[in-house]
Amino acid sequence: MIEMRNVRKSFAGVEALNNVNLTIQKGSIYGLIGSNGAGKTTLMKLLSGIYRQEEGQITIEGKPVFENISLKDKVFYISDYPYFFPHYTTKQMAQFYKDIYKNWSDDRFFKLTNVFGLELNKRIQSLSKGWQRLVAFILALSSMPEILILDEPLDGLDPVMRKKVKNVLIQDVAEREMTIFISSHNLREIEDICDHVGILHKGAIIIEKELDELKADTHKIQVAYKEKVPEALMKKMNILHTEKRGSVFLLIVRGEEDIVAKQVRETHPVIFDLLPLTLEEIFIYEMGDIGYAIKNIMV
Amino acid sequence: MFELDLRSRKPIYEQLVDKLKELIINEILKSDEQLPSVRTLAQQFTINPNTIQKAYRELEMQGFIYSIKGKGNFVNPSSKKADLEKVEKVKKELEKLILEALYLGISTSELMDLIRYVDDTKRGGGKDD
Repeated sequence: MIEMRNVRKSFAGVEALNNVNLTIQKGSIYGLIGSNGAGKTTLMKLLSGIYRQEEGQITIEGKPVFENISLKDKVFYISDYPYFFPHYTTKQMAQFYKDIYKNWSDDRFFKLTNVFGLELNKRIQSLSKGWQRLVAFILALSSMPEILILDEPLDGLDPVMRKKVKNVLIQDVAEREMTIFISSHNLREIEDICDHVGILHKGAIIIEKELDELKADTHKIQVAYKEKVPEALMKKMNILHTEKRGSVFLLIVRGEEDIVAKQVRETHPVIFDLLPLTLEEIFIYEMGDIGYAIKNIMV
Repeated sequence: MFELDLRSRKPIYEQLVDKLKELIINEILKSDEQLPSVRTLAQQFTINPNTIQKAYRELEMQGFIYSIKGKGNFVNPSSKKADLEKVEKVKKELEKLILEALYLGISTSELMDLIRYVDDTKRGGGKDD
């Protein structure tokens, strides 16, 4: 289990994270989403033991991470811009990681490079952005980490590669109970593979929940009435957002699906649709709730 | 065995539960038949193994499957509950359709007649067999 308790970190007086609390269970895939500049990368670097927090605790299995070599042996971090030594080939880079990570598996490395058709003796920096990403993934997975931290991981990979990489990741979660901590702006991606989600905004986690739970208690409703909209209904429901499109109302409502549906049906609408929200919509409405709303920008 | 719609708004876990229930209710998955392992499904669909685990737990709770530690998940032979589930589902669908019919101006007596007619033909069909 990974835990962050009341973590604060600032850079030259500028606060990047303030009071972050976060819990990640072993074997789970945790998606971190957040506004630009919310502190996602800082959080990931703290978790990987690259930065040291000013306040609070960061622990993996109860032990602090920073400068803890035996613990860091089990953690692999792929940054948003993977770094390789200049002029190194994949093979040389693999040798480097092999020296560092105790659990490195040559077998895994050759299997993966084979599956993806990677040439071992090419200089990594001569490869395209997508291939460089892939090299980072292969090196990470060959190190057999217990915790994999991924910052914007699937950027620059084509759909086929993406699927292949995801598949390998999922195998590791299913077979070795690897934990994945992943940050992305691509919410569809997160939605597909994560089981828990945290939303980071202005240096603090504002929501942390199981993804299904988050989706189960917020709904998008479209209703239309022959006559006026019944006021009583509007008062009864916990409405996050209303929009009027012609005579059709679009509501974002919190509450249990069955109850909400029953309440609306009782008022005999002409049109009634109830849809689960996508993660993207949840993100937008939750952020709107705390004043980070979308306004149609006109320039 | 079945398809999941990853683009759908419906949570994957719910889709899984529904699809597997359907397979069990329609006896495509037979009593005591083993369900695919979490690993197999995760890899097949490229979805989170925890999601599948959760779906299996839900199915077990609802009495559709049972699990044997170290062996896997199996279809529960007592499918009485499964039938009840289906009855509930059909009722809900009917409710929706009836409501729509009423809005379209079909009277209740017309609907009653329809029910009687369908019931009659069903019996009639039974006799002919």
